[in-house]
Amino acid sequence: MKKIEFDLSTFLPVLFLSLLSVALIYSAKHASLNSLERILFAKQALWVILGLIVFIFAYRISLRTHEILAYFYYALGVLTLLALYFLGSAKYGATRWFNLGPFSIQPSEIMKLAAIVALARFLAYPKKSSHDFLWVIITVLMAALPMLLVLRQPDLGTSLIFLALALSLLFWSGLSVYLIFLLVTPLLSLPLAFHWISWGIFFVGVLIAIFYIRPGKWLGIFIILLNLGAGIITPLLWNRLHDYQKDRILSFLDPRKDPRGAGYQLIQSKVAIGSGGVLGKGYLNSSQARLEFLPMQHTDFIYSVLGEEFGMGGCLLILSLMIFLFYKGVLTAQKARNSFASLLAWGITTVLAFQSFVNIGMTVGILPVTGIPLPFLSYGGSAMLVNWAMWGLLSNVNARWQEY
Amino acid sequence: MHWPRETRAKIALYIILFGFVILAGRLVSLQVVKAGYYKKISDENRIRSLPRPAFRGLIYDRQGRQLVTNRASFTVALIPYEIRGNTQILSRASNMLGLDSTWLKKKLESRRYSAHEPIPVVREADFVAISRIAEQSENLPGVVFQDEPTRKYPQLKGSSHMLGYVSEISEDELKDKQRPELSAGARVGKMGIEKEYDLLLRGRDGVDFYEVSASGRVIGKLPDQEDQLPSPGLDLVLSLDFELQARAESLLAQYPRGCVIALEPNSGEVLCLVSQPGFDANSFASVLSPQEWLDLVEDPNHPLLNRATQSAYPPGSTLKLLVAGAALETGLLTPSTTFRPCNGGYQFGKRFFRCWDPQGHGTQDLKGAILHSCDTYFYQVGLKAGVDLIADYARRCGFGEKLGIDLPEESRGFVPTTGYYDKKFGKRGWTKSLALNLAIGQGEFLTTPLQITSFFGALSNGGIIYRPHLLKKIISRQGRVQEYEKTVIGRLPFSKSTLEFLSQACLAVVSQEGGTGRLARLVGIDVAGKTGSAQNPHGNTHSWFVGYAPAENPRIVVTVLIENAGHGGDVSAPMAREIIAAYLQARQELAEAPKTPE
Repeated sequence: MKKIEFDLSTFLPVLFLSLLSVALIYSAKHASLNSLERILFAKQALWVILGLIVFIFAYRISLRTHEILAYFYYALGVLTLLALYFLGSAKYGATRWFNLGPFSIQPSEIMKLAAIVALARFLAYPKKSSHDFLWVIITVLMAALPMLLVLRQPDLGTSLIFLALALSLLFWSGLSVYLIFLLVTPLLSLPLAFHWISWGIFFVGVLIAIFYIRPGKWLGIFIILLNLGAGIITPLLWNRLHDYQKDRILSFLDPRKDPRGAGYQLIQSKVAIGSGGVLGKGYLNSSQARLEFLPMQHTDFIYSVLGEEFGMGGCLLILSLMIFLFYKGVLTAQKARNSFASLLAWGITTVLAFQSFVNIGMTVGILPVTGIPLPFLSYGGSAMLVNWAMWGLLSNVNARWQEY
Repeated sequence: MHWPRETRAKIALYIILFGFVILAGRLVSLQVVKAGYYKKISDENRIRSLPRPAFRGLIYDRQGRQLVTNRASFTVALIPYEIRGNTQILSRASNMLGLDSTWLKKKLESRRYSAHEPIPVVREADFVAISRIAEQSENLPGVVFQDEPTRKYPQLKGSSHMLGYVSEISEDELKDKQRPELSAGARVGKMGIEKEYDLLLRGRDGVDFYEVSASGRVIGKLPDQEDQLPSPGLDLVLSLDFELQARAESLLAQYPRGCVIALEPNSGEVLCLVSQPGFDANSFASVLSPQEWLDLVEDPNHPLLNRATQSAYPPGSTLKLLVAGAALETGLLTPSTTFRPCNGGYQFGKRFFRCWDPQGHGTQDLKGAILHSCDTYFYQVGLKAGVDLIADYARRCGFGEKLGIDLPEESRGFVPTTGYYDKKFGKRGWTKSLALNLAIGQGEFLTTPLQITSFFGALSNGGIIYRPHLLKKIISRQGRVQEYEKTVIGRLPFSKSTLEFLSQACLAVVSQEGGTGRLARLVGIDVAGKTGSAQNPHGNTHSWFVGYAPAENPRIVVTVLIENAGHGGDVSAPMAREIIAAYLQARQELAEAPKTPE
């Protein structure tokens, strides 16, 4: 057997991102009037150190162990999400955190990893007879449970991660893209349902597609039911709501509608990135970022600090670094011989890529403000630890790809 | 279609690459193409976001008369990041506005606000101050004023509890995670309808984005950013009759403490609700001085308390109808049952329980006992029925629980049970004498004036308990109307014959010679009701009267409660008569206006 080699090329870039995160948080907050904010960078440094320890564990512990414990992780994650309803504390108007003195834990981050491991385990065993797509339904439901719990917090952005994860893993398990399209149809039904003609045409289209694609009895019924639910029940419920209730839901779906917070953040983010120009203003020289009036500068909008201080050069460098890492991730998934390991690597890569794209898209103003942090760069302990754990698992697969 | 692994991996890589190329393209657009524009904003100018307060919904009475409106006023606010601890600006501003500069400084540093949000420091600023700020704006970067409508309430102090008032959000309300849209400095409904329907009334604030020069001069609107228009709140139509409300308030004004509540018995709509003493809700619109606030909070008459829904009193003899109903229903009593004659009281064990009338009422049947409100008779009913039977029926009639009126902090009242007495006095620590007192509405049993009104409303309408309600309609600015639908929350646990008997007894109380409610009589219209005089530790008895009219086809049920004013029949009954007359007169349903008998 070949000697296991540690792949530095996937480790060093991530370490670089983490250290850059500490530097950027320092820059963003070092002039803050609030002393608690001035030391955030030190807290983040501590998270990076702890993250490295978590990485080592994730790298060394046999994947077998995680495979055995997969459903246990999943149950634990769901329970902590449920517990959040009773014990959680609100920040920025949403219950996403457990408060533990100076630190707080964000269960949806933990749930993310748990869902990847559990889904990878579930999909690794081909109990799939070709005409019975029950396994697809179960996969969707396994992702839907945490998704709905997180959506209820409310955290639209994070809940979408579970959706992306499920679809991506199904794709990697060999489900045809046509079937994946069928699975997405209920989501398309939602906006179309506001007029019955548009929805009716769409629904007939779905029926015809089902006829040709032949997803099997159960999956066919499942998709039809979901579409009916989205298309008929939604408008019924919707019409019973009063204008102000609709307003609230719409502003939840489109946070830009929240005038005081998100709109202002977005303008400032664009000004920061745009004013950075090609070369940037230099480290510690951002004017927009240092104005302490952006409460989320160190979390969701960290990329705009980067953009202002290091300009387009810095931004593109980080983008290329990320593309390289995701490329390595996909390669790892491709070469791994054990299907659990392969699915695990695939899921991790998907989640990190999705988050990075959505976050950066938000800071440059092409995607709605959803509150998804940028992996390894945004401030946040739970996220940092979970991201390093994910990267440890990925490196683990990468190193032992030959094992069955 | 089944692709091999390599193909799927390749597809995924292309998708990722595609996404990131889009991001890179956007970065080029921001950082190369538009870099100059953004640099300019970043270097020279700042962006100011000013909230545009939404127009708060108006409140109307059932006839469409405006109860609560808005009037124009100016609010002065400071924007922390524009001032950034510049003490010169601060001292200039504090001079100009006549504010304490340390207070201003503290307000600026408050963690409740994020630094770009304007912090309101003066509401209802006078015109002189505003024009001075406008003149001096070059020297006062970060000091802004905006028009922000202020609430205007009717000059009826006794209505303030029900309508409520609006003022700046408190620490605790800011922490409420049900209302994430509220930010520091926002004004919210604090009491009554304003609080209950804050979500409907408030609408949504909009926001304007301005480019501002370093010296605070407004250069203009930000070109590439849409303003967010405020959406006005919804108008509310209440079931309240404003004229009746005003009439009730003027009648009650001669007494220091009391309340009047009237319902429409066939829907639960609140027709009037007055609590005395009251307060001026308009004074909360501007900043209330600490002394004014203390005066309100420490007033021994508790002017902030809505006595009709938030206070619970012993019901006195008004409870006798419930006790009679329970006894009839369980067969303990028939309308012709007689007991030991009343000779001014009832000897139970070693104790003599007095009837309110020392003359005594002699031997009488049930109707006679209700008519005279004879305590002796009801002591004996209570003895037969026991605490738990009365408690059971009371709960089923809506006592001891909130009725769910659309006003905040409704009181439950209290219905004692043997379990409660066992806990309070020990298993053997109490005697049946408690049941005697309970049967005449004395002791631990407590009801809100609202609950007793609702009970008599159900008695009058054939036994249906409706949810008491103030909101009648919601009207959006587009004219969409949503009507409140009356809700049945229960039925009196009485058979038809029992209900018939009880309403006949209520009619007799007012119309028959010797009835305790004679003073509620009107000519040409049958008034029914029951008096009560509730003993209490604070002095003279509370005076109750609950009545409804016309007896056969009731349109109004009204409760008058006056604290420490004596017998219900003497004080409250005539006032209830006035209110009933005023309401029915205005309806013009009577061929002849009801008159007070000579």
